[in-house]
Amino acid sequence: MTTRTDHRAGDAVPPLERRIGLSDMVAYAGATWDWYRLHYDPEFVRAARVPGPVVDGQVFGALLVEQIQDWLGPRCFVHKLDFTFKALVFAEETVRCEGTVVEVGEDHLVLEQRVVVIGPDGGVDRVAAAPARARVLLGTADGPGA
Amino acid sequence: MSLLTDEVRALVGRKKVYTAPEEFGAAAGRYFGLAIGDHNRLYSDPEYARAHGLRGVTAPPTLICETNQYANLPIPPDGYAGHEWGIEIPGTRKVRGGNSYTFHRRIRPEDVVTATWEITDVAGKATRSGAEMLIVSSRATYTDQDGGLLAENEETIIFVALEGGK
Repeated sequence: MTTRTDHRAGDAVPPLERRIGLSDMVAYAGATWDWYRLHYDPEFVRAARVPGPVVDGQVFGALLVEQIQDWLGPRCFVHKLDFTFKALVFAEETVRCEGTVVEVGEDHLVLEQRVVVIGPDGGVDRVAAAPARARVLLGTADGPGA
Repeated sequence: MSLLTDEVRALVGRKKVYTAPEEFGAAAGRYFGLAIGDHNRLYSDPEYARAHGLRGVTAPPTLICETNQYANLPIPPDGYAGHEWGIEIPGTRKVRGGNSYTFHRRIRPEDVVTATWEITDVAGKATRSGAEMLIVSSRATYTDQDGGLLAENEETIIFVALEGGK
C-alpha cells in the first residue's frame, strides 16, 4: 500500500504510453455505446475535413486514471479529475500521459498531468489535453461515498 | 452580433434526466477496460477486488461519465446516441472544452444509474484572434437506485464564430 511518506512534491508519475488504433476506437465506441461516425467511418471523416478518424476525447480521461492506478496500485481512489482539450488525436497515433506530484496530504496526493501526442521522431508532436489535475485518495480502493 | 442572446441565456437551468432500464452489469466495466487497454483486475476479478476492500468487480471510474448505456436513445444518422442539448448556432463551429469529474464511489454491477444533466451557465467571450465564443457549461449528476451520489461531471461546450476574428 502506498502512503504519503512514499511521495514528495515534484516526483514524476511513471508515464503511460498507448498507441490508439482504429480497432481500439471501434471497441471504445462499443463499450461506451457511442457510435458517432467521426470515430470510425471514412466517408463521415472525409466530409468533416479532418485527416483521419478522431479519437474520442473522453479516452484521455480514462488513460489518465489508468496512469494513476497503475502507479499507486489498487488501494487508491481517484476522487477528482479535470482536463482541458487542446488538440484532436487521430487513429493510429500514440499518446503519452505524463504527470507530476504537486501536493502531498495526509491521505491524498494532487497531481498535474497532461496527454501529449508522440511524433514519428519520438518527441512531443502536440498537446492533446492539458492542463489536467487529479486528486487521489491513498490507502483506500473506494471513495468517500462507499 | 452577440452569440449571447436572450434565447441562449434562457437555456440556464434546463434539465434532462435519463434512468437506465437495467442494472449496470459487470460486463460493461470489463468491456470498457479491454477497450482502453486497462487490464486492472479490479474490473475482472471479484476475488481480487474483494481482497482490496470492494464488494466485487467495478468499472474504470470514468465509464459512468462516458457511456451512453443508460441514455436508451435511438441511433441518429451521425451515430451519436447519447445526451445532447440540441443547441445549434448558425455560423459557429462547436468544440469540446473539457471535463471536471468528481467520483464519490466506485460503481457496482448492481447499480441502476440515473444521470441528471443541467445547463449551469452560458457566457460570451472572445478568442485571442478576436472571434466571438459562446461557452455553455453543464453538470451531470449520476445517482444510484437509492439516490446515492456516484459521480458528477462538469463539461463545457464552446461555440466559436466562423467569422469576425483577425
